[in-house]
Amino acid sequence: MKGLLKGLGVTFKAMTSKKITYAYPDVPLQMPDRFRGIQHFDPDKCIVCNACARVCPTECITLTGKPNPDPDKKGKVIDTYDINFEICILCDLCTEVCPTEAIVMTNNFELATYSRDDLYKDRDWLNGNNSLIRQDNISMLPKGGAKKDV
Amino acid sequence: MQELIQQSFTWQNGLVFFGWGVVFLFVVLGFVTYAIYFERKVIGWMQLRHGPTRVGPLGLLQTVADILKLLLKEDTIPKKADRALFILAPVLVYVPSFAVLATIPYTQSLGFADLNVGLLYYAALSSISTIGVVLGGWASNNKYSLLGGMRSAAQMISYEIPLVMSVVGVIMLNGSLSLRTIVGGQGNNFWEWNFLPQIIGFVIFMIAAVSELNRTPFDLPEAESELVAGYHVEYSGFRFAFFMLAEYVYVFAISALTTVLFLGGWHPPLAVLDFIPGLLWFVLKFSFCVFFLFWLRATMPRIRVDQLMSFGWKVLLPLAILNIFLTAAYIEIFNK
Amino acid sequence: MIRTEELLLNVGPQHPSTHGVFRIVVKLDGEVITEATPVMGYLHRGTEKLAESLNYTQIIPYTDRMDYVSAMTNNYVLVHAVEKMMNIEVPERAEFLRLIVMELQRVASHLVWWGTYLLDIGAMSPFLYAFRDREIIIDLFNEISGARLTYNYMRVGGVKWDAPSGWIDKVRDFIPYMRKRMDEYDRLVSGNEIFLARIKGVGQYDADTAIAYGLSGANLRCTGVDWDLRKTEPYSLYDRFEFDVPLGQKGDCYDRYLIRLQEIHESLRILEQAVAQFPSGGDTMGKVPRVIRPPAGEVYARIESPRGEIGCYIISKGKAEPYRLKFRRPSFVNLQILPKLLVGETMTNLITILGGVDIVVGEVDC
Repeated sequence: MKGLLKGLGVTFKAMTSKKITYAYPDVPLQMPDRFRGIQHFDPDKCIVCNACARVCPTECITLTGKPNPDPDKKGKVIDTYDINFEICILCDLCTEVCPTEAIVMTNNFELATYSRDDLYKDRDWLNGNNSLIRQDNISMLPKGGAKKDV
Repeated sequence: MQELIQQSFTWQNGLVFFGWGVVFLFVVLGFVTYAIYFERKVIGWMQLRHGPTRVGPLGLLQTVADILKLLLKEDTIPKKADRALFILAPVLVYVPSFAVLATIPYTQSLGFADLNVGLLYYAALSSISTIGVVLGGWASNNKYSLLGGMRSAAQMISYEIPLVMSVVGVIMLNGSLSLRTIVGGQGNNFWEWNFLPQIIGFVIFMIAAVSELNRTPFDLPEAESELVAGYHVEYSGFRFAFFMLAEYVYVFAISALTTVLFLGGWHPPLAVLDFIPGLLWFVLKFSFCVFFLFWLRATMPRIRVDQLMSFGWKVLLPLAILNIFLTAAYIEIFNK
Repeated sequence: MIRTEELLLNVGPQHPSTHGVFRIVVKLDGEVITEATPVMGYLHRGTEKLAESLNYTQIIPYTDRMDYVSAMTNNYVLVHAVEKMMNIEVPERAEFLRLIVMELQRVASHLVWWGTYLLDIGAMSPFLYAFRDREIIIDLFNEISGARLTYNYMRVGGVKWDAPSGWIDKVRDFIPYMRKRMDEYDRLVSGNEIFLARIKGVGQYDADTAIAYGLSGANLRCTGVDWDLRKTEPYSLYDRFEFDVPLGQKGDCYDRYLIRLQEIHESLRILEQAVAQFPSGGDTMGKVPRVIRPPAGEVYARIESPRGEIGCYIISKGKAEPYRLKFRRPSFVNLQILPKLLVGETMTNLITILGGVDIVVGEVDC
């Protein structure tokens, strides 16, 4: 009987205590800087090294390069860059291996759509997703870890 | 109202009765709507949430929206269900719950029938609802609902007896089964109310009443973590709404009955507060009873079915009988 | 003559108390269970097979999704196994960070268990109280790893991120807060007579049975067997800290309940010491070759997850991908005693016992 009354006391006290509900859809959630949201892609920085596509555990990144239009410069520039957010698990490995920080995480996380087709995000969309970009990209890992021999 | 009932029955009187019945039905529906809102708010606050806030100002229209949704839903009857009984069950649950309200006096003048067997009428009618629950559980042809229906039958029978036994003491003190007389027998100060001299009866009544209501911690027939939803697993739309409605009408009935039997009905807690109208006192005490039920629901885990049975038969029933003996001895010694 | 028939009841995969998509087929005689058959595999994703075509860094996000209530310990068991194979030295600071997040994870995991167990038993409020406090831990994890549930935080040789500034202080502040909350939990639930009547003496087994069925974690310690890998086979830095291993005697659901609550207290004790001894500087990543290629051979590493002994068995052929990888998942092993325990119990006790085992279906089916 005593235990029951104690329990009733706890719930009664909780009535006036501070509520912990987030006003989420009305007030956007503030995520910490390191939050792993939808990637932002900067085509100018990309050197088409394929590291991100190779390290991706779910193989959701597909990219193609084309020869540099500037004949003086060597190497390739990015042509298409698609991430399939149906299977992307936002594990952060692609941004971790990118040697030039061409692909970085943002704090945006809202992906809900009415059609699965909308979840294929292409180069332009990812480039346009440039708000709340993560600042703290310094990782302790060796850059381009999965570049060779995989 | 009282004179109206005494008159001989004519078509005109019948229409007046019907009109009052409809008015009262809407009062009860209004109560149910806001009892559900109030319950969700209270439980929300106790769980560090806000409760409904989105529909209407302060979420006041939440229940209205919920009821609308239930009415618009598809009414499904399982193919293998016993169709006639499946349809009958919610009606059988709801009708007695509304009918029992007829005998409850709210103030000196406000109230419907003043039966000289009022309490017996309440106990007898409310047990009919059990049949509806068992029928619903059986007719759905679902194993979970069958288990829920069986539990409900066992539980309601076990707790009906201590419920009635516990009020025998009150009846003995007042010498009447009429609820109006019982309230009249209590005084204008809170120590003159029945709950103090009948404290054992009061506690037993509260426990048995919560059990009769199928509410936490005695919500075994619809234990959602074991039986999914118990006897109304297969019900949807307005048939489900009827089960819910009946549950909350019984909340209304039991809270009113507790107020009448033990908390002095419309009497003020102190004689000096007599200037405040009786209806307000009634509503206050009544609201406290309703709040207490919600409070219990936010705190208590569910009791186990075998423990429930042994508690009912081995603890509550002997205590209730003891209470009757004590009351009888008291009357014999002091009131001669 | 009254003829009774056995009732074949399908509990799950869609059932509010099977913690996901777990299914038990029970035969009921009235409300008494005469036979129970667990059916698993509704959440099977083939993690072990998938791992054979992934390199070791890529497997880490998959371990998050095994026991998603306790992803940090799953992360650790994989990197621990690889480090053991390659003899990699992990810097002290990284090891401290790992230990702190693992102990926080243990608290968070037990809180989830506590809340959902009470929900199974029919009390609603404890669930929300537990999640209020778990939310603080989740926010801490969000700050350090960038995710709320699937952290992908540990790496072979260290951790991905150093703690952000002020993070350790937040952990330090969390400890007294949580202790206060534990008092509240005790007042709300632990003394509740209805609750005690529900769980005392339910699902009882003795130490021999527990060992024969390979149980671990609180399910083993409730019978009085002193077996906590943090003590018996210290890994990480656990040998540096003082803590007790709570033990039960009866082996019933009540003992398991008490042990898990006591383990929260012990985890807080470890956290308190770890935060105090936290090194002020140092690397968070050891010397690791660019491509992780363990030498050919086999290794089995095991640690104490909140649910019991989680083990990782790797066969390497010297390539970047494992030849075979096997996880010993405590939820799966602990569940095997269920058919034995359930016979003769009622439907109500089925929920009490199943909840008391503390399973995560993602880990059962893997």
